[in-house]
Amino acid sequence: MLTKYSQLFVKAFCACLLLSACSKEETTTFTQIKIPSSSPISPGDISGFLKGTLLTGQTYTVTADVTVKKGDTLAAQPGAIVIVKNNAQFNVQGVLQLLGSKEQPIFFNSDSKQPGTWGGFQCDSAQAITIKWTHIDNTGGPDAGGSARRTILVNRAIAVDIEDSWFTNGQDDLMGLFHATVTILRNTISSSGSTDGEGINLKSGAKGVVAYNVIFSQAGSGIKLETNKTVPFPQTEVEVYNNTLVSNGWRRGSAEPGRAVSVGVNAIGHIYNNIIVNCYHGLELFADGDLVKTTYGNNLFYATVDVYTDLVDSTQKINIRDNFYPASGVGATVISDLLSKKIGNYDPLFVNFDGKVAAPNGYPNNYDFRLQNGSPAYGTGMAKYNQDLGAYTTDNKGNQH
Amino acid sequence: MANKIYGLLIFIFTASVAFAQNAGLKGQIIDKKTKEPLSGAYVHFDDKKGGAITDAFGQYFISNVQPGLYKVKVKYSGYEQFKAEIELTVNATSKLNIELSEKVESIETVNIYSKANIESETSSRRAEKNAANITNVLSAQAMQRSPDINAANALQRVSAVTLQRNSGSDEAYAIIRGLEPRYNNTLINGVKVASPDPASRFISLSIVPSDLLERIEVSKTLTPQMEGDAIGGTVNLVFKDAPENEYFKVNGSLGYSAIFFNRKFDEFSHGAVQTKSVTEKFGAGYTAHPGNFSRANLDFVKKNAPLTSLLGFTYGHRYFKNKLGFIISDSYQNQYYGTNSQFNIAQLDSRPGKGYQPVISDVANRTYSTQQLNNGLSGHIDYRFNDKNKIGLDNVFLYTYIAQSRLSIDTSIIGGNGGRVGPGTGAVFNDNRSGIQEQSVENLKLHGTHVLSNHLLFDWAGVYSNAIQKSPDRAQISTNKLINPDFTSTPDYLYTISRIWQKSGNKDVSVLANLAYKTGLGKGSSIEIKAGGLYRHSTRYNSQNEYTLRPTPTATGGKSPFIDIYSVDWLVYNVTGSLASDKANYTAYENITAGYGQVKITLNNVDITGGLRVEGTEQGYDTHPVVLDIRSNAKKTYTDALPSLQLKFKLTDKSNIRASYFKSISRPALYELVPTPTFGESTDVTGNPDVKHAVADNYDIRYELFPKNEEQLFIGAFYKNINNPIEFALTSLVSGQANTSPQNFGTAKVTGAEIVYSKYFGNIGVLGNYTYTYSKINTTKIYTSTDASGVTTSIPKLQSRPLQGQTGNVVNISLLYKNDQRKTFVQLAYTYTSKTLAFVYPNYGYDYYQQPQSFLSLSGEQQVCKHFVLTAKLNNLLNTPTTIKIGGLVQSKDIYNLSFNIGFRYSL
Repeated sequence: MLTKYSQLFVKAFCACLLLSACSKEETTTFTQIKIPSSSPISPGDISGFLKGTLLTGQTYTVTADVTVKKGDTLAAQPGAIVIVKNNAQFNVQGVLQLLGSKEQPIFFNSDSKQPGTWGGFQCDSAQAITIKWTHIDNTGGPDAGGSARRTILVNRAIAVDIEDSWFTNGQDDLMGLFHATVTILRNTISSSGSTDGEGINLKSGAKGVVAYNVIFSQAGSGIKLETNKTVPFPQTEVEVYNNTLVSNGWRRGSAEPGRAVSVGVNAIGHIYNNIIVNCYHGLELFADGDLVKTTYGNNLFYATVDVYTDLVDSTQKINIRDNFYPASGVGATVISDLLSKKIGNYDPLFVNFDGKVAAPNGYPNNYDFRLQNGSPAYGTGMAKYNQDLGAYTTDNKGNQH
Repeated sequence: MANKIYGLLIFIFTASVAFAQNAGLKGQIIDKKTKEPLSGAYVHFDDKKGGAITDAFGQYFISNVQPGLYKVKVKYSGYEQFKAEIELTVNATSKLNIELSEKVESIETVNIYSKANIESETSSRRAEKNAANITNVLSAQAMQRSPDINAANALQRVSAVTLQRNSGSDEAYAIIRGLEPRYNNTLINGVKVASPDPASRFISLSIVPSDLLERIEVSKTLTPQMEGDAIGGTVNLVFKDAPENEYFKVNGSLGYSAIFFNRKFDEFSHGAVQTKSVTEKFGAGYTAHPGNFSRANLDFVKKNAPLTSLLGFTYGHRYFKNKLGFIISDSYQNQYYGTNSQFNIAQLDSRPGKGYQPVISDVANRTYSTQQLNNGLSGHIDYRFNDKNKIGLDNVFLYTYIAQSRLSIDTSIIGGNGGRVGPGTGAVFNDNRSGIQEQSVENLKLHGTHVLSNHLLFDWAGVYSNAIQKSPDRAQISTNKLINPDFTSTPDYLYTISRIWQKSGNKDVSVLANLAYKTGLGKGSSIEIKAGGLYRHSTRYNSQNEYTLRPTPTATGGKSPFIDIYSVDWLVYNVTGSLASDKANYTAYENITAGYGQVKITLNNVDITGGLRVEGTEQGYDTHPVVLDIRSNAKKTYTDALPSLQLKFKLTDKSNIRASYFKSISRPALYELVPTPTFGESTDVTGNPDVKHAVADNYDIRYELFPKNEEQLFIGAFYKNINNPIEFALTSLVSGQANTSPQNFGTAKVTGAEIVYSKYFGNIGVLGNYTYTYSKINTTKIYTSTDASGVTTSIPKLQSRPLQGQTGNVVNISLLYKNDQRKTFVQLAYTYTSKTLAFVYPNYGYDYYQQPQSFLSLSGEQQVCKHFVLTAKLNNLLNTPTTIKIGGLVQSKDIYNLSFNIGFRYSL
């Protein structure tokens, strides 16, 4: 009898052990009450003076300019979708917070989805700008006076934080950030600027970091640093590292070649660990930049062609390798640089890139600028920033796109 | 065509002179007491047509009369009539010098206001001497005899007056006592005129032909009856009035600018300038395509410059026993002139060891070619009901057509996207511009003067003034290329094209009335009490429509090289234009309500004029924004009480001493309030609604001596305390185009002295004047420095400097030669201005200064026979450039070269 019970006990205990192996952790679900987001903005048409939150999964149509007044905040939750009509723009005098996520990015685009069909974010006098995991496409249409608009314009000493976002097909400068303290990390900027415009234009005492960004086929320069001509102090001083800069600077013609990175007008740059491929000019330091305080090194320069022949004017034959440090600037190669001497020498080995040199505004960027195994960019970085070069690094601190 | 007309006229007049007859009369007419020559006196034979008017030296000459016995009569307003009998003999010219006695204004008599036209036709000098306030007067004779095509040139020779000029154009505004145009006002026949210029309150003096002018009065102090918005002074252009006798005069001349000996005139197709914008043609919302924009107006063709031609006539007469009089005058000028200009951009040199001084960053060479056609038509009708009642109608219509091309080559010296490594390398921009500007000013004044009783005088006026400026299709094309370090050049590329249609208008309606009571206070003394008021409503609008054309990208997205304007492909960037949303489209208004009371006491040796004027101002604008903007609509109101006291002591018969205090204001022009950029030749201007009107306390003292016949000496001093002067300071400088905005910089103190002298020695006369002005104001500048620990900062710091536009030393000297026998007149005129602050530079220790200038001009005339005079004028003999420097660096240098005119004058 006892053995019968003890057998049963053992069986039951074993069964319990078996069952316990597939047990679940404790979960608590609040299903009855949902806390609404502050000032939710109802989906549908929006315009005029606006504050509040654009909601997850909702679609909004901007019918005319939207203005966020001083003291007001316009926020967006992950997965909000905004379609802009009538070449409208966002005027931000208050706070802008576009907080998308990797799984649920935010989308801003025009209704026509053609390059240069809405006005972007004109934040001349904003209080703070945060943009994360957001797609901002086809900006830069003409303003009231007929001039092209920058996609994001800031003209004030505020914090500007732009991370993990995608920007395509702008018409002028993609980012024009003056006076601001910037944190520009892990973004992808593609095919912007019609026949002029820089990718990231930092002037007038701007400070901060520009790192792990991919800038592909910008009309003018990829990253440009300058101080105000009239007010030389405070100086613009920016760390520019681990960016991948490909095929920039071709669209405004040989009279005004674009650079991967340029430093001028009393600005200070610290330029390391960037991969520069097929840009018209590579790293250009102008004589009027602060060349005493500017530092640079560990940059990889590569060209996929020996000579690039302009497709329109075939008399224009450009040796890209000659312009890694162009003769018109005062910068020169340093020993830590990886300077390609011929095709195949220091090829960064992008996962997918066909060697495109000049491409039109709006050209689709279907490339993958991750690095293949054996890339010379691995392990040759300035360790202070990263052991690897370019936007995609083995430590996963880099670009997540 | 015009040249043929002149040829024909010359032929006709020469032919008429051929029928000469055989007796004549000549002589000089002078004031009996002062021995001053009297100009404009009418000498004629009783019961005969014809006669002569005395010239600036009182000389007259009547020829082609039959021999015989004549009654000679001389009429001159304010003087007793002269009558005498004289016998003219065959083949001889008799001589008769006449002394006229001034009519005594007998205060004790009952007829105090005896005539309604008391203000007209006295000589300039007498006007200066007898005025209640401090004035300088330039007579028509003085203008006619010197190289003065327009009022601007003429005014330059008035004491303490200099002219502000714009590079590449002939625009000119008066600077009185070293104070820039905004502190002065310009009147036509005593009333304000609407301005066609979107950027100022006044008309450019260069569009007023000097032929139309009877005289120019410059008042340096204000009496309560005068409008209170003049701190430096008031320029009153007095147009010709209906004469007592038949008056006919015609003149013409041809000229050339020597700048075109060395280069061609850059012409463009005027026909390709589209008068209507795409929006105006096809309606709002129309999508413009590349074919909507013409090309030939951006095709610059080198041509020989045509001749400059000037033609003018004046005719006047009185009818119905002199009750109805009219005068009509037209002056046509078609001028071709050019400027060669250097325009440089200065920026702070932040390179190590350079000490943050300005350094030239860009150099641009510009050539302007300008055709300016002016036509001034002025008409005047007056009707005298009787001696006590008169009404008049004045109409002045001024039209200007300016076609200008500007070719510019701009090279970056340092920085930017230049990449220059040495001379001859770097980025080169070609910015070429063409445009046509039409301005018209219509000014109609109806006025009346009524002697209500022996002691009461009433006068009134209603004025309608309308000014319009149209600048259709101002087209600018920028192309660029790069000279590489190895001196190879890239092709040219199209950078951008802009097309702007701009229109502005200003309309004024004013009514004003004055009532005066005057009575005697015993022998030689009188009191006049005057009160009056004014109301003016002004409206202004500006409309702007801009299209931007950009290069069409090729298949690779880049630009194709620029070959020429006809083959370049462009796309219209803003397809609907900027008309609907451009902030430059604004409407604005200004209402002025003013009233005053004034007392003038005349004692034996003292004149006291004093009183109070109150002016209420209401100004506002609306930019009709598409996007709500708090600064898009504003209204300002303010009221100023402006006391004035003028004292004149008659020390002797020949000398006066004057002392004066008055308070006056300067209002910002309407466009200066509107926070929208206005595009200029080399400077764009953005308004500032926060700018305040300037208020000044003015103190003056002047000693006047009239020692002898044709000799005068004035010595004066002044002090002004100006609160909130309005000055333009640079806010930015982008691609060779400066942007400035009006701002207040606190209180300025202005001190100065002036001396005027003139004397005649036989056939030679000397006229001279000198003004010294000193001013001081403090401005906050950006100061960059490195401290002992090596930290460099840019911080705000106060810097003292002179007022903008203020000139320290101004000298005018004229030498005259006249020979009565040979009927020859020659004048050499010299003007000197010392350095003048042109722009306020934002950085500490530096400002833009216009450099000292000396101008020399020569004019002469020779009478060849009765009625007919040959004239010649040479301007800018020294080929004086206008140079603006910052520190030791040349920011701009404009060269105009010498110009000359040869012509004739025929007078009845």
